[in-house]
Amino acid sequence: MTPAPVQALRKTRSYKAVARALWEANPISKQILGICSALAVTVQLKTALVMSIALTFVVAFSSLIISLMRRAMPRNIRIMVEVSVIATLVILADEFLRAFLYDVSRQLSVFVGLIITNCIVLGRAEGYALSNPPWRSFVDGLANGIGYGSVLMGVAFLRELLGSGKLFGYPVIPAFFYEAGYLDNGLMRLAPGAFIIIGLFVWLEHTLLSRKKRR
Amino acid sequence: MSEPLRSFFFAVALCVVCSVLLTAASTGLQRRQEHNMRLEKQRNVLKAVGLITAGKPLAESQIEKIYTEKIKTFWVTPEGELVDAQKRADADLPLYVRLEDQTIHTYAVPVESDGLWGKIYGYLALEKDGATVAGFTVFQHSETPGLGGEIEKEWFQKEWIGKKIVDKDGNFVSIRIARGEAGEAVSERMRPHTVDGISGATLTGRYLTAGIRETLESYEPVSIRFRKNMIGVP
Repeated sequence: MTPAPVQALRKTRSYKAVARALWEANPISKQILGICSALAVTVQLKTALVMSIALTFVVAFSSLIISLMRRAMPRNIRIMVEVSVIATLVILADEFLRAFLYDVSRQLSVFVGLIITNCIVLGRAEGYALSNPPWRSFVDGLANGIGYGSVLMGVAFLRELLGSGKLFGYPVIPAFFYEAGYLDNGLMRLAPGAFIIIGLFVWLEHTLLSRKKRR
Repeated sequence: MSEPLRSFFFAVALCVVCSVLLTAASTGLQRRQEHNMRLEKQRNVLKAVGLITAGKPLAESQIEKIYTEKIKTFWVTPEGELVDAQKRADADLPLYVRLEDQTIHTYAVPVESDGLWGKIYGYLALEKDGATVAGFTVFQHSETPGLGGEIEKEWFQKEWIGKKIVDKDGNFVSIRIARGEAGEAVSERMRPHTVDGISGATLTGRYLTAGIRETLESYEPVSIRFRKNMIGVP
């Protein structure tokens, strides 16, 4: 039996928002947002993880800031304002990475620009932060970032395992597999492989969700 | 206040705030970033000359220690002579030399090549015979990740070790990046001067081949001296 406090937590709106973004309304598999970066960064688990964290940070804080400004922001320039906030946040993140985590920033350097154009960030800003209070917008941003990150890690797990026989850079396929004739799947290292995996994820999630609804 | 005027003032205020934040971050963090960049360059020189191996991360202090102990920067005159930093002229080119017991073991030249999307920066190190490649590293580029971006990976760079920039008759031929794997398409004669390319990154390979050739050509005067064993440590 789940204890009472957990049950109470499950009923809060924040929890529901997070749960939704993880599964029912997952940015990649349900909203089909953020696909381009999902293709690019999922060749390795390590880059996928860093990208997930960076994106979660950006979505959460940009949603927070835009939500704080939502009453003062003139509606006719709102897209420009949102993009400015997002771009500033991303550049700040890049500057800090280059100063304190240089190795990581080198891996991410091209993708940092991709975060600004990642539809998830603008999507949540327009779709949630503009009409919701700051704390819930922050949580929504976090949740969508985590939802995005979980799919990213799932795709990266398969791509790195099947494409290079490694996880986080550590070889996990035993040597005798290779000696027996096993080969790394080169397609998994390229974008088409990512497309296939993402497609399978979307299919899986839709199937599981519709089965749950039918019960 | 009218709606358009309000929008205008809001936009101006937003621009000011964003500009201040970005400028503050950029200037405040600049020293650290430059320090990291310098360290990265040092690490690349050390890797090119074979003093550190890939996959073994080293602490900052270790990199700096090895660099100051083993690497000396000299300047190369257009005639190929090595001079000290004080005697350098503006037209002289830098040379990063690995010293073992006061003699030159390997030397690294900085590579600045055009790439597909931007410049490619790295180091190419040669043995003291002036003909054999000791190592090749890339520390900055704007190539597509997964395609041209593979030039920064170990598998690409380690192909270069042992390749020759001069043919059997001593003529300068430089190194060519093949299109895809340098398999049967490359003749036996050209094999010591060819490295495997990256499939899907033919253009990056072409740009880099041209850039490497240009760089090595500008350093030919000093390489010739190395081949003739005419180099003196200033």
